[in-house]
Amino acid sequence: MTKKQLISIKGTKEGLVLRLDDQCSYTELLEELVKKVSDEGFEGQAEVLLHLGCRYCNDEQAKEIINCVQQTEHLRVTKIQSDVMTVEECNRRLLENQSETYVGIVRSGQIITAVGDLVVIGDVNPNGRVIAGGNVFVLGRLKGIAHAGANGNRNAVIAASWLEATHLIIDNVIETMTDELTVLSEQPEMECAYLHTNGSIAIDRLQELRLLRPNLSTFKGGS
Amino acid sequence: MGEAIVITSGKGGVGKTTTTANLGTALALQGKKVCLMDTDIGLRNLDVVLGLENRIIYDLVDVVEGRCKIHQALVKDKRFEDKLYLLPAAQTTDKNAVNPEQMKDLVNELKRDYDYVLIDCPAGIEQGYKNAIAGADKAIVVTTPEISAVRDADRIIGLLEQEEAIDPPKLIINRIRQHLMTKGEALDINEITTHLSIDLLGIVADDESVITSSNKGEPVVMDPSNRAALGYRNIARRILGESVPLMSMDTPKKGVMSKLKSIFAK
Repeated sequence: MTKKQLISIKGTKEGLVLRLDDQCSYTELLEELVKKVSDEGFEGQAEVLLHLGCRYCNDEQAKEIINCVQQTEHLRVTKIQSDVMTVEECNRRLLENQSETYVGIVRSGQIITAVGDLVVIGDVNPNGRVIAGGNVFVLGRLKGIAHAGANGNRNAVIAASWLEATHLIIDNVIETMTDELTVLSEQPEMECAYLHTNGSIAIDRLQELRLLRPNLSTFKGGS
Repeated sequence: MGEAIVITSGKGGVGKTTTTANLGTALALQGKKVCLMDTDIGLRNLDVVLGLENRIIYDLVDVVEGRCKIHQALVKDKRFEDKLYLLPAAQTTDKNAVNPEQMKDLVNELKRDYDYVLIDCPAGIEQGYKNAIAGADKAIVVTTPEISAVRDADRIIGLLEQEEAIDPPKLIINRIRQHLMTKGEALDINEITTHLSIDLLGIVADDESVITSSNKGEPVVMDPSNRAALGYRNIARRILGESVPLMSMDTPKKGVMSKLKSIFAK
């Protein structure tokens, strides 16, 4: 009886794909992987994608697998893919992608945080702070501090019916609203703040958001 | 069973103590049995404003620590027969002498005998504030038309809204100077109420007689012709459930000449 192949190598247009068996034990897989990588007559530099199938690997195991593959100088791992993830990870991703809604006034000294997008229905008063991993939307007067993309999302935006914030923060870029940004005081109604390509925070009319951040729209269908 | 109302502001010097003294007096004038409670332990003033300073024998801390019975510490204001009482704060210790549980028990005991227990809160949001709001059913936030006072009021409203035992707070705007508001140099009433977005309980004009009457130990509300007194009386009536329209802040006094001028100006 021939032993089942634990590792199959396929060539696709994106490069090599190493498909690892998901039924055998982890140690078995590692041994086989070491053997396979040293056996095979690789030449030159090849980029490979590892596909784990239905095997869950934690970060350390993933690192170990990558090290195994990269023992030969001919292979470089670009990505690890798996069909499974933990419930914890799944919940985290769900939270990151959903929006949380706060109804009421964020008063001085209060802090409202959301993992994903944050929708505030009400005012954010001076010294009140709203923080979101995603975007911040305020249906009311934003007169306090708003922080969008708190986990490093530089595409996050801050939009408000009335944008008169004292501080705007996107990712780690902070803008204090001084008199130089007179655009604000002239017409604070229906505006949005975003991170300009030059690295500083810019403010524009809310109508421009569609063009500035086309990916913001998740609406599908319609005509 | 009466109700306990805490009068607070966050910022100092906006008129919490004056408001407490005047609202208490106004409610007593309306025939309600009122107990005023000073929780500013270490910096008591309410007794002075009411002119009861030299009648204090025991104080709030004495009651809490069991050195006297509650009725022994209460100071009766003889001007209002049997209607107005004061539970003075201690002056020798500090805010940590009592805790919120003890305050709650104390307020509940007072509520049995009085229609209204008005609690004068110290400035700040620390121990003294926590003690003051512990037993309250309702809250009144006092502010003045200054940005600093409004900011602090906003903070205190946020804290009060988190207290489940207390009804949504109501607002009193104190020390209004109409000429500054009309010139746009002070925040106007509309701006303050939209910013804080809570119900407005009343407005009180800035009047020098408030200071002079405080110094004399007679709350200004006792003088029915005074305009600040009218503001306080209206607030007291609203607390009792009457609907009283907001008083006009314009000074109606016009000389004969200016009247003539305004006629010809048409």
